[in-house]
Order: sequence, then C-alpha cells, then structure tokens
Amino acid sequence: MGAVHSRHITNKHRFIGFVLIGLVVYILSNIVDEWRAYQGATVAVFVVAIASVILLTGYSGQISLGHGALLAVGAYTAALTQIYFSAPIWICFVAAVLSTALFGAILGAAAARLSGPYLAGTTLALAVGLPSIANQFSILGGEQGITFDAGWPPLSLGETFTQYKWFLWIATLTALISLWWIQNILRSRYGRSWRAVKSNEVAAELVGIHLGRSKVLAFTVSAGIAGLAGALLAMTVNNVSPSAFPLALSFSIATGAVLSGVSTLGGVMIGSLALVAIPLIATSISDRWSGSENLATVLPDFIVSALLILTVFIAPKGPIEKHRSRHSK
Amino acid sequence: MFEFVNTLLIGITAGSIYSLMAIAIVLVWRSTRVVNFAAGGIALASTFVGSTILEITGSFWIALPVAMLAGAALSAFIEYFFLRPLLKRSGDKNQEIFLPIIATLGILGIMKAVLHFIYGEKIGVLSPPLSDKGFIVSGESIALSPLRLLILGIVLLLMIALTLIFQRTNLGLSLRAASFAPEISRLSGIRVDLVRTVGWAISGAAGATAGILQTVNGSGAVTPEAFEFSLLLVFGFVAAVIGGIESLVGAVVGGLTLGIILAIILMYLGSSLVFFAAFLILILVLLLRPNGIIGVKGGRRA
Repeated sequence: MGAVHSRHITNKHRFIGFVLIGLVVYILSNIVDEWRAYQGATVAVFVVAIASVILLTGYSGQISLGHGALLAVGAYTAALTQIYFSAPIWICFVAAVLSTALFGAILGAAAARLSGPYLAGTTLALAVGLPSIANQFSILGGEQGITFDAGWPPLSLGETFTQYKWFLWIATLTALISLWWIQNILRSRYGRSWRAVKSNEVAAELVGIHLGRSKVLAFTVSAGIAGLAGALLAMTVNNVSPSAFPLALSFSIATGAVLSGVSTLGGVMIGSLALVAIPLIATSISDRWSGSENLATVLPDFIVSALLILTVFIAPKGPIEKHRSRHSK
Repeated sequence: MFEFVNTLLIGITAGSIYSLMAIAIVLVWRSTRVVNFAAGGIALASTFVGSTILEITGSFWIALPVAMLAGAALSAFIEYFFLRPLLKRSGDKNQEIFLPIIATLGILGIMKAVLHFIYGEKIGVLSPPLSDKGFIVSGESIALSPLRLLILGIVLLLMIALTLIFQRTNLGLSLRAASFAPEISRLSGIRVDLVRTVGWAISGAAGATAGILQTVNGSGAVTPEAFEFSLLLVFGFVAAVIGGIESLVGAVVGGLTLGIILAIILMYLGSSLVFFAAFLILILVLLLRPNGIIGVKGGRRA
C-alpha cells in the first residue's frame, strides 16, 4: 500500500515540496505579528525534536521517553560555546549537534543492550535526572540558567525587521534542512538497516547487519538532531535553565511523535502544529463558554491527552498512514 | 554514626513506599505487558478520595481502605475500557510496547486534568494519624517516629498479604499462570481476561496505598500537580526496572535500594544530585545485569 504510493514521489518532488513550505513560511512571516512569529519558531523547534524521536522510535524501534534531556544537552552546549568562545550562532548549533551526538553515542552504547520497559525506564530517569544537575555546577548557572543570545537580525534586512521574525527564519530554515537530511538518511542503507532491525532482529543479523552498531548509530543520529532542537529552543527563549526541560517536555515530544504518526516522518508537521495550536484553541474555547480560569488551565492538557488516546485507538500508525491505507483499498 | 542511622531510617521509609509503587507497576506489567504510567494518576485520584473521606469521617482507618477500594476500582475500569480493547487490536506482538505506554500517558493526563478541574486550587489535606515526632533514644530524637513505624507496618502487612495471595490461593495461582502462559491457561479453564482485570485491581490498591503513605510521609497535603506524585511514579518505575520488572521481590529490593542510596546522597551530597543519582544507579544496575537484579535472562515471554 505505502510502497505503491511512494513510488510516484521522487526526491525531486520532495525537494519542491520543501521549497514550497519554506516559501509559505516566508510569506506568512511577513504578515504575522511578533507573537505569532514566536509561535511559528516554536513549531519549527518541535518539528526537529519530534523528527528525532520518530527516527529513533519509529524507524529504529528503540523507545525514548527522555528526549527532553537531550534537548537540554544541546541547549547548554550552544549557550556555553557562545559564552566561552563568543562563536557565531551557526557554530553554536554545530557544537550542539556534535556534543549531543557524542552524548547520545555513549547513552546508546548502554541502551543498545536494553529493550522494552528497561529502555523506557532508563530514558525516563535520564529525563528527570539530567537537567537537575545544572544546579550542581556553577558554570551552568543554577536555577536561573545562562543566556543564549542569537543576536539582532542583520541590518541588511532592513530597519523594521523584527527579532522573532529573524528567529522564525533561522528555525524554519534549520528545520527544513534537517528534515531533508533525515529523510535522505532514512532512505539510505542506514535507514534500511534500522527498519530491518526493528521488524526482525534475528533476520537482520542473518543478512549481516551488526545489531549493536546499528542501534548505537540510530541513537547517535537521533541525539544529534535533538541537540539541534535544544539549541533552537534556547535561541527562541533567549535562555537555558533546568526548568525549561521538565519531564513534561519529554512527554510532549513523545506525544507529538504519536500524533504525527510515529512510523512515518511525513506527518511531523501535524504533531508540532497540534502541540502549539491546542493551548490557543483551548483558551479561546474556555473564554467563549465560561470565564472560568480553572477550565482554561485544564483544557489544553485534557484535549492533548484525549487526542493522544484517540490517535492510539483510531490511527495507531498516524494520520498519514491512515489516510493512505484508506485510499489504496 | 547517629546521623547515618537516621539517614538509613529515612531511606528505608521512603524506599518502602517506592516499593509499593513498584509493585503496582510490576503487577500490571506481569498481567498485561503494559508499562502503566496511569498508576501515578490512580494513586493521585485515590489519595484525593482518601482525603475527602478523612474530612467527612475524621478517621484515617476508614479513609485508607476506602482509598484502596477506589484505586482498585479505577484501575480495573481503566484496564477494562481502555487497555483491553487496545491490546486486543494490536494482537500479541510483544515488541509493540510504545503505544500502550502512550495510551497510559494519555490516561494520566486526562486524570490529572479532571482532578484539577474538580479540585481547582483546593488542597486535599491528609493529616497523619500518628505523631511524626521521633522516638527519644538516650536523650536524642531519632528519625524513627510512630508515623514512620506505622508506614513500615502497613507496607509490610501488604507485602505479606500479597505473598499469601500469590503463593497460597487459587487466585494467585491463576494470576501467575495467566501471565506465564496465557494460551495454556485459557485452555485449562482460567478466565484469563478476568484474571488480568484482577491483577490491575490489586495494582490499583497498592498504588493507592503508596499515594496515601507518600502524602502522609511528606507534606500531608495533596494537589493535582503535586511534585511528590511525579516523584513517586518515576522512582516507583525506576525501582521496578532495577528489580527486573517481572518480580515482586525485585520490586521491593529495587525500592529499598533506591530509597536508601538516595537518602544517603541527599544527606551527604545535596539535593541537586538526587535525580541524576537515580539515573546512575539504574544504568549501573542495568549494565551489570540488563534484566534487573532479579530478572531472568531472556525472560519469560507471556
């Protein structure tokens, strides 16, 4: 079903699609106000973060409930690179990717031996444990955290070019480039070997795939991408502190991955948009129906959780696969 | 030395509560192969029930059993209406544990939101039934108080009851058989679906007790967003994994290990390392024994 459908789509078509998305964001960025631009940048951050979870869980079959911690590693690396080497922002991003990938490789070496509930428990403990050690080392700035200043937009873009519009541009461009790279690696021999390991470990080993190496590589790549998302997040909020990476962030990313359809990269926009848009929709609903402040605080979580359960029941492979399978029948 | 003994006592109390939560998670894992994050929500909801009953009747000894019943009912309800249809759909593919995890996360979110909506900013008060002032030994107050003794007593009693149920009764035999080999159990006349629901119910009661004891041992108050409950869920789960997630003994060993080591770290190294230490303990144990302290290599796959 999926295979028949995807044969018609070549990489050229996808490239045009990516350019079109970039164009739409470019046009939107000129219309919307600062607040919407900030939200747009947040969507782009979630796209990168969710893509890293989809790569790991959907394609390589390893569970992670701790991607928030990997985002934290990336964010702190970016901020420290800027503070101590006063490096330009793109070097900070590269540093974030490299250091988080290294961290992911070490973690992946331990995780490759684990499966199912053991891996879920380890990553969960990481999500709770890692951000809190920032309080222990003064170089990480404790509870207040450290600043990460991406700088004002270059003057060549004009006097009226605003800060968040600039962030939106950077975040969108980074997200598109990383998605392009991810969808290529998923189609390469590495992506194929990850899927082989996921669907049947014994069979994968028989055709000559090294199980451990394949799993560690997936963890490393996924961590690098998560680190990039962390650096982008640090950029949009100007600051890195432990409270920016609570357990709830890790859960949100996993939630977004399921809403997007965890086994296909194609739906990654859906989950990110949902995570950012639902709180807004919930607020407007509760404003219209009742002035209850209590309802307003509760409704976003309620809607996200209900959607999550619905997705698991109705479209466990995600909205896109659901759509595809209906049309191929 | 004195300080060290006190730290140990604090650690054992906290650890025994983590053990109860770990037992709740192990019971569900054994009966249905689901990592149950809703256990945190069940514990929270039943603690609110307990605090309401305590408010009405004024007696802790009525509140605790009612909360346990509420936990059992809620847990059975969740199994029957959410997990059973979900697992029926996905068949018996054991690798697919991600979707049930996400489903229980969703249920946890809904339960928290509903509790928040009902209780709002109100705080559920659960005043301890006994004094939490330490006993006086040779002129100095130690960390063992009547309250702590009571907590340890309740946990011990529950563990004995669970062991008796699992080892000495027909129900326990069916519970073990249904998780070990569901198909064969079904053929030999065990109503596997019913037994699974019972497993969830017992887990709910254990979780409810853990929630009440955690609150009584801590601040004595409970809110829908209480940090103590995220802590209870995370440490309970970590304890279950340390113990090998299959075994009740493992859950107790894991809970006590975690409780004692974390209390020592909290005492001598400071609070900001506690959570990271939990991660380190877990990964060290799993590097040495990838299937937990009590886990069996290659495990039974029920």
